[in-house]
Amino acid sequence: MDKIKFYEQLAKILDIEEVKPEDTLKDFEAWDSLAILSVLAMADSTYGVAIKAEEIRSVVTAAELANLVEAKKK
Amino acid sequence: MKNIFKNKKISAIISVVPKEEYRFDDEYPLFKLTEDKAKRFKKMMSLDRHRIAPPEVCSSDLCLYGLQRLLNEGTLKKEEIGALVFVSQTPDYFMPPTSNVIHGKLGLGHDVVCLDINQGCTGFLLGLMQAFLLLEISALPKVVLLNGDTCSKQMDKCNRVSYPLTGDAGSVTVIERCEAENPIYMDLKNDGSRHKAIMVPAGAYRMPSTPETLKLREVDEGVLQNLEHIHMDGAAIFNFTMGDVPPQIDDTLAFSGDTKNSIEYFLLHQPNPFILKQMADKMKIPQEKLPNNIVSLFGNCSSVTIPLNITFNCGEHLQRESRRICFSAFGVGLAWISMVMNVGPLKVCKIVDYEPV
Repeated sequence: MDKIKFYEQLAKILDIEEVKPEDTLKDFEAWDSLAILSVLAMADSTYGVAIKAEEIRSVVTAAELANLVEAKKK
Repeated sequence: MKNIFKNKKISAIISVVPKEEYRFDDEYPLFKLTEDKAKRFKKMMSLDRHRIAPPEVCSSDLCLYGLQRLLNEGTLKKEEIGALVFVSQTPDYFMPPTSNVIHGKLGLGHDVVCLDINQGCTGFLLGLMQAFLLLEISALPKVVLLNGDTCSKQMDKCNRVSYPLTGDAGSVTVIERCEAENPIYMDLKNDGSRHKAIMVPAGAYRMPSTPETLKLREVDEGVLQNLEHIHMDGAAIFNFTMGDVPPQIDDTLAFSGDTKNSIEYFLLHQPNPFILKQMADKMKIPQEKLPNNIVSLFGNCSSVTIPLNITFNCGEHLQRESRRICFSAFGVGLAWISMVMNVGPLKVCKIVDYEPV
């Protein structure tokens, strides 16, 4: 999985310039139910994986989210 | 479950919407959203306006009004009505069935079948299936399918997650026999193990109504809900819609011998434009063949979204000629149904405002 592309997509969803792997998702102002829905949509359309709500809620950083999607892809 | 119905057709559809229309731009301060967040929400969900019934107007009122219009305009005669099938999650009473209440208000004869079905999102297609079955096993002249939902009454009006996407509506569909074979292909699926994904937890008998069940709780920042409101697990519903529905549509097209090209319209249940665009992309169906505008203009009105989709997006075409249509509905249950059939020319295919005299 191209993680750089993943962080770019995440930045677009959060409407900011850049997302760093160590960034905490909850710290972004735009990290809300709409952003979570957008992440689900991106995971489905770009990576063909389905993520559960509790899985998204359990991750803290952007890197953990990327790892979750990557792990599901395998 | 797959089935083919033959020698049956839809002959008329009328949708009824409350005339009270509310715009997101006027309502968003109610939802305690900042202007920025409101703009983001509006853009992502293509929110514009929705129709909301006043407190005294029930689902059955919208349906009865539509039925009276068909009778007054001469599309249908009272003596042709063999059955009233009322599909709703917002009935008038726990008992008697709302179809009996409507039967009484119309003064229909004693030989008419009255049947209530508790379904939401798939309610139009499940109702069609029931209508086809009734025609198959009886000599009933015509079946009248009534779909009505006033879901706005099942939520807090300040709930930004549900309320701006919701609408109230009713519809009346007339189903009858026809000489032409007109095969109708259906696939129906249920998964009750996921029934908690969309539910109203309290207010019936598993958890009766008490002051406690009516107490508003904050479920998300600024979002209030009580146990008698609709609860939805957004992520579970998203994964269900994207995971289970496209394969069923493919499967139904294979069953009917169609391709995505031979189908002229994909008329789907309308939960929100975002998920419908996502589905169209996933299935590689051009957006113009899969309308997603019902929630933006009327709101998600549960089992009435498909009749509204037909009458709003294809009304004029279907009054003149026939179209090959793939229907698909998915949601509460969880249940998902797809159907392929030719529809039209219809005697009536229109939307009217609810304006009782």
